[in-house]
Amino acid sequence: MMRPLVFTQRYLPQQRVDCSPLVPNALAGKSVREVGALELQCGNRKLLVGELFRLSGEDAQSVVIECEGDKLERIGARMTGGSVRVQGDCGAYAGLQMRGGEIHVAGSTGAFAACQMRGGLLRIDDDAGDFLGAALPGETRGMAGGTVLVKGNVGERCGDRMRRGQILIEGHAGDYCAARMLAGTIAVMGSVGANLGFAMQRGSVLLRAQPLDIPPTFGDCGIHELAFLTLLFRAWSALPSRFAQFAAPARVRRIVGDLANDGKGEILLSTGR
Amino acid sequence: MNSAVCTVIGSCSLELRPAAQRAPGAVFRVTYAPMQVNGVHIDDTFAEAFGMRATRVLVTAHNLKWAYHAAIAATGFATSVIACGAEAGVERKLAASDTPDGRPGAAILLFAMSSKDLASQLQRRIGQCVMTCPTSAAFSGLDSAEKLPLGKALRYFGDGHQISKLIGGKRYWRVPVMDGEFLCEETTGMVRAVGGGNFLVLARDAGAALAGVEAAIEAMRKIPNVIMPFPGGVVRSGSKVGAKYKGMIASTNDAFCPTLRGAVKSELGPDIGCVMEIVIDGLSEADVRASMRAGMQAVCALGAARGIRRISAGNYGGKLGQFHFKLREIMKGTA
Repeated sequence: MMRPLVFTQRYLPQQRVDCSPLVPNALAGKSVREVGALELQCGNRKLLVGELFRLSGEDAQSVVIECEGDKLERIGARMTGGSVRVQGDCGAYAGLQMRGGEIHVAGSTGAFAACQMRGGLLRIDDDAGDFLGAALPGETRGMAGGTVLVKGNVGERCGDRMRRGQILIEGHAGDYCAARMLAGTIAVMGSVGANLGFAMQRGSVLLRAQPLDIPPTFGDCGIHELAFLTLLFRAWSALPSRFAQFAAPARVRRIVGDLANDGKGEILLSTGR
Repeated sequence: MNSAVCTVIGSCSLELRPAAQRAPGAVFRVTYAPMQVNGVHIDDTFAEAFGMRATRVLVTAHNLKWAYHAAIAATGFATSVIACGAEAGVERKLAASDTPDGRPGAAILLFAMSSKDLASQLQRRIGQCVMTCPTSAAFSGLDSAEKLPLGKALRYFGDGHQISKLIGGKRYWRVPVMDGEFLCEETTGMVRAVGGGNFLVLARDAGAALAGVEAAIEAMRKIPNVIMPFPGGVVRSGSKVGAKYKGMIASTNDAFCPTLRGAVKSELGPDIGCVMEIVIDGLSEADVRASMRAGMQAVCALGAARGIRRISAGNYGGKLGQFHFKLREIMKGTA
């Protein structure tokens, strides 16, 4: 049985390190020696993988990164398959433009996690920073597929310009959650901050708790039974998330907006079973 | 075949010896083996069926009553492709645990002669009969490589307020309607299927024939992947190809009309007073075969004592349809 390919961080780098080469699809077919000779961008210079990490194991389809600090960025970027497990916290852009496979962060992620993600599963056991599932600065579309599970809280602008996919947050979400959202689904078990759904065009935000305030540019459409929620919650039942434990709410309050933006997005507020 | 002439009623086997072993003018030895089940004669003939395209849609609603309203409406006026555009029927009842949205429902099967016809009929029937029915929803009931648009076309009824949701890799459309939302999967699967499997129940009188076909339909409804598209599953106006009138592509099957027994080349003996036909459309040849067997066994279980005389089948000489269902092969092991 092949052992996972383990990268154990030797020291805390001074600058941020681009770890995007350390994904299964890029490492496939390479020996441990060849992997150790790969170059990583660190600030304005390059360093060797073997210099920053101690390597063990050989299965490049199952990568483990044992890290500390928040300097390791772009972990799992453009990944297409296999798995990456991060033992500890990681920096920004985790799962950037990810297309498949699974990233499991047994800690927190920095800003822009799941940024422009297209597919696959990103699990975050602790908190996620700002702009989770958002677009890169200057880009017009954020996350466009896949699933993000967050056990902790997320920062501001979660799902900013999000186009497709789903983000399930077991904790709280910061301000401007679902701002400029184009489509997709965000579910939050805890509270959400101010300006929920600002300039939202389409998409769904599911809330279990009453938000502090609903923007005045959203219209209350009343309480309804929505059949698609059964399908949604059934699809979630296999996920490693607390959302899997819940049945679909029998009725939800449907609040539509952002009408100031001619938006047809919806905030669905659970009213119990 | 030399000059020997033999007339056979029922199946027979011919023992043919090599020519060198036969004396000139030798007569073939014919073994006559009629097939009877419980006194019911099984004709040595076959049902001729055709290749069709088929799809299945799962229709759900707030309760079974409304799911059936939708399903029955969507499969109405769909007895024969000759004039209805499609053949359709309710395949089975669905428990809440068997449906995507956890509500009770019904599975319907639709058959047409081409994928284009099927797509057109599907859109019309789901749009006019399912979407219009209170609390209904429609989902794909077939997982296949070939797809037909379901909600993909119907979504436009939402006039811009429709919402797409990609759930578990499948796209659904939420179309706002006056009772809430009509939920509809974007596509449904389409498969190559078999239409026109059939058998005829020949009986003493109408009462006996009805008892036979009702028993058959009850048994056949337990077989999955098939429908019997005619009213109650039964057709009494069986047809032959063509007619004396120009433009008529089908006309009454006079050889099986008891009132014409003495006027045409009839297939009916003096003991037959009524003939009823069951037509079967199925997703595969095996499904049609299983359904025919179940139906014929149920008819034969009533037996001659209850007025059932013969079972026969409709065909066109074997030249039109690529599927031939030989009655005696299907009933093998039952006699």
